[in-house]
Amino acid sequence: MRGWRSLISKDWKTILRNRLLLVVLIIYPFIIMGVIGAAFYDTGRPVPLGVVNLDYLEKGEIVWVGNRVGAGRLEAQRLLRAGGKIESYNNQGEALSALQAEEVGIIALTWDPPEGRKWIGSKLSRDQVADAFSQLQLSAPLRDYDTADIALRSFEDGTNDLLFGLRSEYYPSLGETLWLDGQNNDSSSLLERFSADVTETIEYQSESAARDALSKGRIDAVIILPRGFIHDLKTLDRTADIQVILDQSNLVKAEFAETSIRGFLSRINEGVVRSKMAAVAVGLYSLVGGGDFFGTQITGLREIRDNLESIRAALAGNPELQATLDGGIELADTVINDIEEAMTYLRGTALPISLDVSSVAGRPLSTKDAVVPSLIALSILWTGVLCGAILMVGEDEEGMSQRLRLTDMGPFALIGSKLLLATAIVFVQSITMLLVAVAILGAFASNIPLALVVIAATCFSCIGIGLLIAAFARQVAGAVILSVLISFPLIFMTGALFPLSQMPAFMQWIARAVPVTYAIEALSGVMLRGQSIAGVGWEIVVLLAFGVAFLALSSILFKRRAV
Amino acid sequence: MCSLFFDEVGVLLELGIESDPEGGCGVISVENLSKEFNGIKALDRVTLQIEKGEAFGLIGPNGAGKTTLVRVLAGQIAAGAGEIYFEGEAIDPRERRYHLNMGLVPQEAAFYGRLSARENLELIGLLYGMPKASVRPRAAELLDWSGLTEHAERQVRFFSQGMQQRLSLAMGLMHEPDYLYLDEPTAGLDPQARFSLWDLILRLSDQGTAILMTTHNMDEADRLCKRLAVLVNGAIREEGTPEQIKALLGSDRLELTLQTVDAELLDGLCGPLDLSWEQKVDRVVITGSRLSEKIPRIVTALGSNILDLQYKEVTLEDAFLRFMGRVRI
Repeated sequence: MRGWRSLISKDWKTILRNRLLLVVLIIYPFIIMGVIGAAFYDTGRPVPLGVVNLDYLEKGEIVWVGNRVGAGRLEAQRLLRAGGKIESYNNQGEALSALQAEEVGIIALTWDPPEGRKWIGSKLSRDQVADAFSQLQLSAPLRDYDTADIALRSFEDGTNDLLFGLRSEYYPSLGETLWLDGQNNDSSSLLERFSADVTETIEYQSESAARDALSKGRIDAVIILPRGFIHDLKTLDRTADIQVILDQSNLVKAEFAETSIRGFLSRINEGVVRSKMAAVAVGLYSLVGGGDFFGTQITGLREIRDNLESIRAALAGNPELQATLDGGIELADTVINDIEEAMTYLRGTALPISLDVSSVAGRPLSTKDAVVPSLIALSILWTGVLCGAILMVGEDEEGMSQRLRLTDMGPFALIGSKLLLATAIVFVQSITMLLVAVAILGAFASNIPLALVVIAATCFSCIGIGLLIAAFARQVAGAVILSVLISFPLIFMTGALFPLSQMPAFMQWIARAVPVTYAIEALSGVMLRGQSIAGVGWEIVVLLAFGVAFLALSSILFKRRAV
Repeated sequence: MCSLFFDEVGVLLELGIESDPEGGCGVISVENLSKEFNGIKALDRVTLQIEKGEAFGLIGPNGAGKTTLVRVLAGQIAAGAGEIYFEGEAIDPRERRYHLNMGLVPQEAAFYGRLSARENLELIGLLYGMPKASVRPRAAELLDWSGLTEHAERQVRFFSQGMQQRLSLAMGLMHEPDYLYLDEPTAGLDPQARFSLWDLILRLSDQGTAILMTTHNMDEADRLCKRLAVLVNGAIREEGTPEQIKALLGSDRLELTLQTVDAELLDGLCGPLDLSWEQKVDRVVITGSRLSEKIPRIVTALGSNILDLQYKEVTLEDAFLRFMGRVRI
């Protein structure tokens, strides 16, 4: 170790007295990491989500529904007759004003062969409309239209042969509410309630307005709730179709938005399925036990059976009749038994899949947490390479190499002292970054002492690269250019920016030959995945092996190189 | 020992000059040292000896192999063939133990620009394994010796070139070496800086340090070096004291302006004195060996016929240039 201390103190003095080196090696890393860190700093801001709620309409707004039944006129008249007298109108205007004046609940446009189109109207109640629509639904799907113009066009081009216009409050299954988690929700409040922790919802009046906001980057995704969303949710045999529009020009943003949306939708799903199952169970229970089933008095099977039993007892003198009743009682017992079994099954049935997403870190991680290990590793790569190269080439640039060779310093004093000083500089920088990230920015790091070991090993191997580069340069400027040329592409080969598993096989092989890859793996393992020394031992060994190899190679090159 | 000399047509001439005045082994001696770089002979069977307290100069054109010879002797590069002796013992100067006894002042001033003169000296001392307690006084001594005491705390990059070169020399002496290699110590210096550096080097050789120096400055070689070797294409073409080299390669001249040039008289005068004369425009130029001793007899013989007389001593530079003019490089 002869001469190490003297050389280290010389180099340290040189750095402190050289403004350029001071900035490049000591200050710049903090600046660049501060900038990158700030870019990734996660404020916990929820995903801005645009919502277009078609399941809600202002009272009095007119809704248009089209259908193609084949014989539109007859069908329309048949359906509207349920509301009493059918009104006829001469034109659209008349029909609309009758509708708006609430003279009728629904108007319809049909083909009337001799005269052409015909407007009629009737005072259907909401239930009657619902009934009519569900009958129509059987033959052909109903189509909703936002405006009268679009609706009329669909009538004229033959898409529909029957067009209904009705006030929103008459529209069946629109704007219903759902009892979920101890609260009554309409579609908007349901969405807001379940997404409050991950998104910030912004309502848009129309899909086009929401798409516009999405393309301008004001929101990260659009979610469109269809007409009758809550109704569909509540109906046992119906699925509510939600449309989600993502901005995939930014894949990370899109993925993040999609994950958040899937997350809260699945919670709604789960709640609704649970309540549907509960309803079925209650229904079955009422079937057996009788009682008040959603306002309807039901005579339970058990009571029926008991009645049969008492009738049988009363018929004590007539064994023939009693035998007939026995069959009935037996059947009732079987059915009750089956139903009770089914109820037990229902009661005991959990959701088929329960997804409990948690982080290996033991707490949910944010982007900020996830980026810190990569950031530190890349900073070590950048500064370590530069620092090793600059310190080593400095001797050449000052013309001191020849002179130093003749001194009595130890055989490894030159490379060793550079390695030690550069490691110290980069190590202290990394620790500072780590502590700032953890203590001030609240980033997550589960095992700081082990992280320091990984950081030290990373410094060692990256500075090794720098020393190796120095063997190919004679001047600081050349060393800096070489360092940048080598570090920059390495950054992209480490899995810090793109997940390694998504890269083609040959890139993965290349990444395996870059020490920083192991550094990032080990550092994120230690800091984020709670790895112990056993888990990252291999990576540490590889990092040290890289360092030793670089060091050996550079000493050989320095020894060989002509003075 | 004889030196070999090539004349214009490459014929070997034996000149019979003693190159080893004391006849013994030098402090550093080199025998048949050769070194090739990529098939090109950088050193070709170089043989020379350097004595204690002697400054030995290597002169020769650029690329002659002077720096290569210094590097081989300083253990920076391996010799190709030949032997190197330090005080009679055949050694490989690349071995570490010999380094402690040699100082090297590289061609380009070598020091840490952002350290002060004192810090540079102390660092070198520490790297030579000197104890801390002796590093300080030795550095102070050398600062004083090189006249840098009042600039001791300034960063060296702000020094003038002369000061830097003096520091560079001092750094080579920090560990009190017995052999010192100077590679063009005064290149690029102004006359004043050069003089002060010469003074330092002369003091060193007076104190008994064996110095091997390369130079392009013939004035420097003449003043500092007890002996010189002329290196051309890696081979020593001439060796001897500066006077011997000058006498060999050039000669002093007596330039006379005469009232009448009497060829017969001049022939009769120069012949017996082993001199030769020629007429150049308005002057008669007389050259020959030991010319200065023969001037009184020439003056007596020509008497009042002499209108003007100039005696011109040959310089090493003249000699070198004339020599190089004759050698095919």
